[in-house]
Amino acid sequence: MSYRLRHLPAYAFLIVMSIFVVMPLLIAISQSLMTNAEVNRWPPQIIPANPTFENMHQVLTQQDLRIDLWLRNSLLAASGYTIAVLVLCAPAAYAFARLRFPGNNILFGLLLVTIMIPSQVTLIPNYLLMRDLKWLDTFNALIFPGAANVFGVFLLRQFFMSIPSELEEAAVLDGAGYFGRFWYVVLPLSTNALVALSIFIFLGHYNDLFWPFIVTNSLETRTLPVGLTILNSSYAGQYRPMVLSGAVLSTIPILIVYVLFQRRIIRGVMLTGMAGR
Amino acid sequence: MNKRMSLIVSITVLLLAALVVSVPMVGAQDPAPEPTPIVAEMGSGSIKVSFWSGLTGSDGTTLNEMLAQFSAEHPEYAITHEIIPWGTMYTKTQAAFVAGNPPDLMLMHASEIPQFAGYGVLEDLSSWYSNNGGWFPIDDISGPTLDGLTYNGAIYGIPLDNHGRGLWINKEMFEAAGIDTDPATAPTTYEGWVELFQKLTIDANGNNALSPDFDPENIVVYGYGTGEWPRVNFQGVLAQHGGSILSEDGKTVTVNSPEGILALQQTYDLIYKYHVATPPAGFDTWQMFPGQTLAVIPTGTWFVNHANTSVEFDTMAWPQVQWGPEKGTWFGQHVFMLPVGSAGEKREAVETILRWISDHQVDWAASGQVPARLSAQAALDPVNYPSNILLGQTFSEYGVQDPKSPVVQEMYAILEPELDAALNNLKTPEQALNDAAERMQQAVDRAF
Amino acid sequence: MTSMTAGLPDVNRPRSPFTLNLKRREAIAAYLFLLPFLAFFAVFTIRAVINAVQISFYEYQILRPTRPFIGFDNYLELFNDDIWWQALGNTVIFTVLTVIGTSIVALLCAVAVTQPIRGQGFFRVLLYMPSLFSVGAVGLIWVWLLNTQYGVINYFLSFIGIRPISWLSDPNLVIPSLSLTTIWWTFGFPMLIFIAGLQGIPEQLYEAARIDGASGRQIFFRITLPLLRPTILFVTVTGVIAHFQVYGQPLIMTNGGPGRSSYSVIFYLYQIAWTAFRMGYGAAIAVVLALIIATATAVQFFFIGRRVEY
Repeated sequence: MSYRLRHLPAYAFLIVMSIFVVMPLLIAISQSLMTNAEVNRWPPQIIPANPTFENMHQVLTQQDLRIDLWLRNSLLAASGYTIAVLVLCAPAAYAFARLRFPGNNILFGLLLVTIMIPSQVTLIPNYLLMRDLKWLDTFNALIFPGAANVFGVFLLRQFFMSIPSELEEAAVLDGAGYFGRFWYVVLPLSTNALVALSIFIFLGHYNDLFWPFIVTNSLETRTLPVGLTILNSSYAGQYRPMVLSGAVLSTIPILIVYVLFQRRIIRGVMLTGMAGR
Repeated sequence: MNKRMSLIVSITVLLLAALVVSVPMVGAQDPAPEPTPIVAEMGSGSIKVSFWSGLTGSDGTTLNEMLAQFSAEHPEYAITHEIIPWGTMYTKTQAAFVAGNPPDLMLMHASEIPQFAGYGVLEDLSSWYSNNGGWFPIDDISGPTLDGLTYNGAIYGIPLDNHGRGLWINKEMFEAAGIDTDPATAPTTYEGWVELFQKLTIDANGNNALSPDFDPENIVVYGYGTGEWPRVNFQGVLAQHGGSILSEDGKTVTVNSPEGILALQQTYDLIYKYHVATPPAGFDTWQMFPGQTLAVIPTGTWFVNHANTSVEFDTMAWPQVQWGPEKGTWFGQHVFMLPVGSAGEKREAVETILRWISDHQVDWAASGQVPARLSAQAALDPVNYPSNILLGQTFSEYGVQDPKSPVVQEMYAILEPELDAALNNLKTPEQALNDAAERMQQAVDRAF
Repeated sequence: MTSMTAGLPDVNRPRSPFTLNLKRREAIAAYLFLLPFLAFFAVFTIRAVINAVQISFYEYQILRPTRPFIGFDNYLELFNDDIWWQALGNTVIFTVLTVIGTSIVALLCAVAVTQPIRGQGFFRVLLYMPSLFSVGAVGLIWVWLLNTQYGVINYFLSFIGIRPISWLSDPNLVIPSLSLTTIWWTFGFPMLIFIAGLQGIPEQLYEAARIDGASGRQIFFRITLPLLRPTILFVTVTGVIAHFQVYGQPLIMTNGGPGRSSYSVIFYLYQIAWTAFRMGYGAAIAVVLALIIATATAVQFFFIGRRVEY
């Protein structure tokens, strides 16, 4: 069998899958450029007769829709959360990986056990805590409750343990303390792991719906996924193309980032996923 | 190392960029949120009034225009109007009462009065009404309106509008089917309505539902649809049969009474026996009516703007269907409320605002809703506001409102999926209402 | 523990009180490194879990002044709550369909994309793309594609003579339809994991098999699948945990309907805890849900993971 023929099934399958993946998005984009009447027509139109950006304009200027704000909130909350996870988890992982202290194994075992406890259990107590702290409707509620991320500790500990300890010893001879070794030796050698974890954590938080849904109430503090549900409930019955425009617009920023950093994102997700295994 | 550095740099830049973009947002954590179009600031006086409402879309704009005019006439006040969608307004207000920082003025639905008044967080406004020597003429609102504002003998709000159910009809389809479009000729019996819908329901061969050749598998135009808010339609028909959701004392759920089952069965039969109405699932009446695949849309006062902008044929409002011996149609009210303990210059400011708005209720008709005051209803221009006038009269004459219960929201969360199940033919109407009643009763029992 | 003895080689370590000091200093340093993490962990995880169990024994309603202790009544109510059982059933069916669907699609894509073909990287990037979208965007796009009257999917099906299908309004189809949407949305992550797993299988094994004249299918079932066992375990375990928490799809696409045919457990939890504000009953739901997920995870380890070495 020639090279090409042997891989024909793989190609055919990948092309079918690519169509499956891309079609919904293309149709949504196309219909978001149609008029309301055009969308409500049978048979459905695939290509708009007179493409209009009116829907995009509408969705960006409606008084009760703030896609710009929501996007900003999502980015802020996800960035803040990612930073918080790194700040909390990296030192803890370093202690578990490199330092001797009483209770090391017990503590780490306890952390691993809590990985098995699904997060919904903590929803109600943490919601009530947010209320008591008056953190409802603030970014604190979006950033801090999940910041002690056990998975992050686990992942980073694995990486820190794989760094040869000779490198640290050199720093000790130069008079570096524990923090110095962590900051100047271990962290710079772990950038791949840190970046991978950041991507993973960021994407996970960026797309989270349930927690932001219950701890934010006002339009100004909603995140993008929550905002889209508002868009849906307020306008789906009346202005379908506008709702589709909102959905399409909301995907554009992340698509741009993806196109720019595709390799790194793919590699980061793979690395984290494999380490998690 | 270079590659690593570029990695760090690019990630840092990304995160920083995200932070920079978001920085103004941090301000929103402060008690006073930065002004955005959803938080409109009117006036710049020294007496500040915070006001929450759920008026999204054009309604909010209409009210903001009114408030802006007020501020121009009363420069001593500054009003901050924060718009929160109704769904979350309710939760947010609860949270604010728990935290002890409610706004100075709220616009909510009358149905929420029992819940909040029951918790003792609403101000009794009876003294503002003329029967107690106050400024609001109590005779200028209908009996049902006043009833909706009253809980345990006290009046807890100043009404802005009535908004409720009615029909919009496709006049061209009525004329083609030989049906008079004058609302006065509307049927007054279930059988009459069935026949009307049968004349309007057309299959792919052009036969209507009265024809022996009618093909219910290939309907092109439906006479009636059940998709939009089946619960409030049910409440109207329930009242027409003399039924109710709750007993007078609010302690017994009566939704599965014979009247309730009949009311739901009638709607069910339109779908599955007569084949003249769409089930709720899969059929969006707001898409179908402008698309001319639905002749009569059961909707409400709020439909007027959609009718004016999206409908390209002759259309008009009709009163609610009548399937029982009495007339009855559901309506709700937008009501201004104050947190308990309101006092001093803020209370005076709020009172001034409400007096002014009450005197300018005619302007509110632009929102499509019906001004609460009868004098404002009478002053509406019949050319521009035909649906407001027509439907407003039905609310005043025979409108029914939500039952007065502190757990009304919880009851509705139970009832709505059951109605949906019955109308989608997943349960019999009787079964659905029995299941609903059992759970609703539990909710009511927990409240007492 | 030897791997954790960073620091100095033994020769340089003076045998003096200094050793003790060093040990203690190391321990103190370790606790300082751990402190911020453990503080957050204690408050938001440990305290919350204990608190959840506590609350579940009370009739706890936010705005009510009294919160009576009611023992196991919430759990008894849950046991007799037919909506809970319906929601749980829906969630289980959804999870099984979605996990099996995503795993198969992801594995096939991973196998195809790791063939020595051109455009490997391109396909990988393209196929992962939907995973980046939020459930909001995915739901809004798919709810319209699946629309009975105007949906493009029914339009395409009409070419091959299929009458319009009520994807989201037929009680028997709504869960599979949500599952289809979710497979489209989430198969990218397991695909990447499978790619990594496939790349970890030594090429010699394949070559040896080919020399022995094994067919492509034999190679797949005799070599690829068995060696991917740990990867499959990871994919299914994380998939079950993730999809058992399904919420956004029914919220946006069906609002739980028709009737309650697409209520999920979390959807019901939301109604109980944030519409009716019954935090005690909600906590009981959450605790039981956690136990179910933990059990499901253990069962998977037992069946798939038996021969996996960890």
